[in-house]
Amino acid sequence: MRNKLQMAFALAGLFFVAPVQAGDDIEGLARTCYGCHGTNGVSVGQSMPSIAGLSADYLKTVMMEWKSGARASANMTRLISGYSDAEIAGLASYFSKLPWTPQVQKTSKETLAKGKAASDRCESCHGVTGGEPDGDDIPRLNGQWAKYLELELMKYRDEAFQMSHKKMIKNARKLDEGEVNSVAEYFGAQSK
Amino acid sequence: MSQFNRREFIKTLAAASSASALAFPSIARAAAKARVIVIGGGYGGATAAKYVKLLDPGIDVTLIEPNKTYTSCPLSNEVISGYRDIKTLQIGYDGLKKRGVNVLQDLVVGVDRAKKTVTLQGGKTLQYDAMVMSPGVEFHYNTLEGYSEAVINDIPHAWKAGEQTLILKKQLEAMPDGGKFVIVVPKGPFRCPPGPYERASQVASYLKHHGKAKSKIIILDANDSHSKKGLFQQAWKALYGFEKEGLGTSGMIEWVKASEGGNVNKLDAATKTVHSDFVDLKADVLNIIPPHKAGKIAVTADLAKADGWCKVVPMTMASAEDEAIYTIGDSCVAGEMALYGNPNANFDMPKSAHIAMTQAKVAAAAIVAKVNGLPTPTPYYANTCYSIVDEGYGFSVAHQYRVVDGTFKYIKEGSGISPMAMPDKSPVPPIYRKLEAEYADGWLRNVMADAFG
Repeated sequence: MRNKLQMAFALAGLFFVAPVQAGDDIEGLARTCYGCHGTNGVSVGQSMPSIAGLSADYLKTVMMEWKSGARASANMTRLISGYSDAEIAGLASYFSKLPWTPQVQKTSKETLAKGKAASDRCESCHGVTGGEPDGDDIPRLNGQWAKYLELELMKYRDEAFQMSHKKMIKNARKLDEGEVNSVAEYFGAQSK
Repeated sequence: MSQFNRREFIKTLAAASSASALAFPSIARAAAKARVIVIGGGYGGATAAKYVKLLDPGIDVTLIEPNKTYTSCPLSNEVISGYRDIKTLQIGYDGLKKRGVNVLQDLVVGVDRAKKTVTLQGGKTLQYDAMVMSPGVEFHYNTLEGYSEAVINDIPHAWKAGEQTLILKKQLEAMPDGGKFVIVVPKGPFRCPPGPYERASQVASYLKHHGKAKSKIIILDANDSHSKKGLFQQAWKALYGFEKEGLGTSGMIEWVKASEGGNVNKLDAATKTVHSDFVDLKADVLNIIPPHKAGKIAVTADLAKADGWCKVVPMTMASAEDEAIYTIGDSCVAGEMALYGNPNANFDMPKSAHIAMTQAKVAAAAIVAKVNGLPTPTPYYANTCYSIVDEGYGFSVAHQYRVVDGTFKYIKEGSGISPMAMPDKSPVPPIYRKLEAEYADGWLRNVMADAFG
């Protein structure tokens, strides 16, 4: 029965092709994201974020900011310019409906303690473990790849890299250099 | 899927089963809805097998591949330089087996397109309703005088990853300071367009960090330009003292284009000397990348009729020669070949793992739709390809393609290389190159899992 359901889901994607609007087959479009972000948006590569189960608001905002140039990216700014606004909204909605799958990563007790202490400024928006974002435009962090989180913090902390969220920029730059990795590993280690 | 309600689901299945009997009358009596055979277990073939099964578990899928383990070509240049263990590039077929794909360790030696059968070296004959042909490339050694398959353990190509990669690595390690590492590049199109230049960069990185900076890496190129040329030369200038294009220049890397003597036409294997119209060069380590075309079985099946490559139907990746066979990956040519350096070119798809995988997904969706009597889904093609030129220094190229009026359309707006400069003409901050070097490994882990997992 599970297999039949899976096929129904798959076929549904195929069934809704409307020839007038090229962006309608969102599932087919989404499959091109899997190469870097993992099958169904669940990444197994440490420097690449999982995107399945992040909120539609957050995903759409980030993609639209890349497209407008408000937010820099080493590579996504190029790719995203090939998508229409409707396709971006469709992709955001598609990935937001998939389950969030934390990749719980091990780290030392010392790093956990250090990361928890340094992450108190993250708590009001992302929640204690990063798993309870306070708003639809805020990403989950629990079980996200620590390597990716560390690279994101590096972007927020580098004046040469244009990020768009003032509060994040301010808070990321308040961290000591030695705290960045601990904060990233703390969130990467959280299951919920 | 929430918009797809139960009633429509049942309607779809009902329509699907009667339509599949119409599309494939021979299989109406069979237990499986349809039999799909996939030839070749590289990135393209593995992805096709996985996604046909994912989209419709009722289809019988058999993957035929002679090797037990696959070794990824992408990022294998990092093995040569010692930054990466070759084990990180190797993966077996257990993931596909767990998904219900039949994996046969065998070689397809014949295809009977009229009877829709394939013959295996082991003696079996198998029937298919649809076939995915993803055999990769076949090397054509005899196009260069004095060169043959007999010399490749001494003069490795390392253009199919595995043992060859390790041979080249050993030769590099044994090369003394002041030695000449020569890379011979065939005329395009070839597998992995930026590969030769990434290899030169990785070799340079090894030499620089192992006290052999007096050595030379000379690229003799049968082409007059190449993938990411501006980015490579910018990086070579910053990292390896690249002076300018041409032979006899002062940097560690020298790039010789076809029109200035790069087009090698003769080899003296005993002395590792290569000859072109203007150049005779004796190498300490000689790496010849042989000219190549579509894999042998695609030729045997009479599918490689576009100058030795397989021509495809853009909507589905079906062969232009046979609607039951989908020719994907390095063996096909998708789009019109365009020269580098023309910003308005309608570029053909590069021969990369990532493109092979999106082609495989398009083919899989088209096969499943056809089996179930559904309309052909909209195809989307995309590519991301990273090149690592030194520790913490990477860049990429992205490509997107859609199908407009039945032909491939390169989507310029969603494509392009990493920036050479910022919009205000200032240099690109180092963080950009560092990020892309990091992303390359994440990309690798995900493409391997998306194809084989």
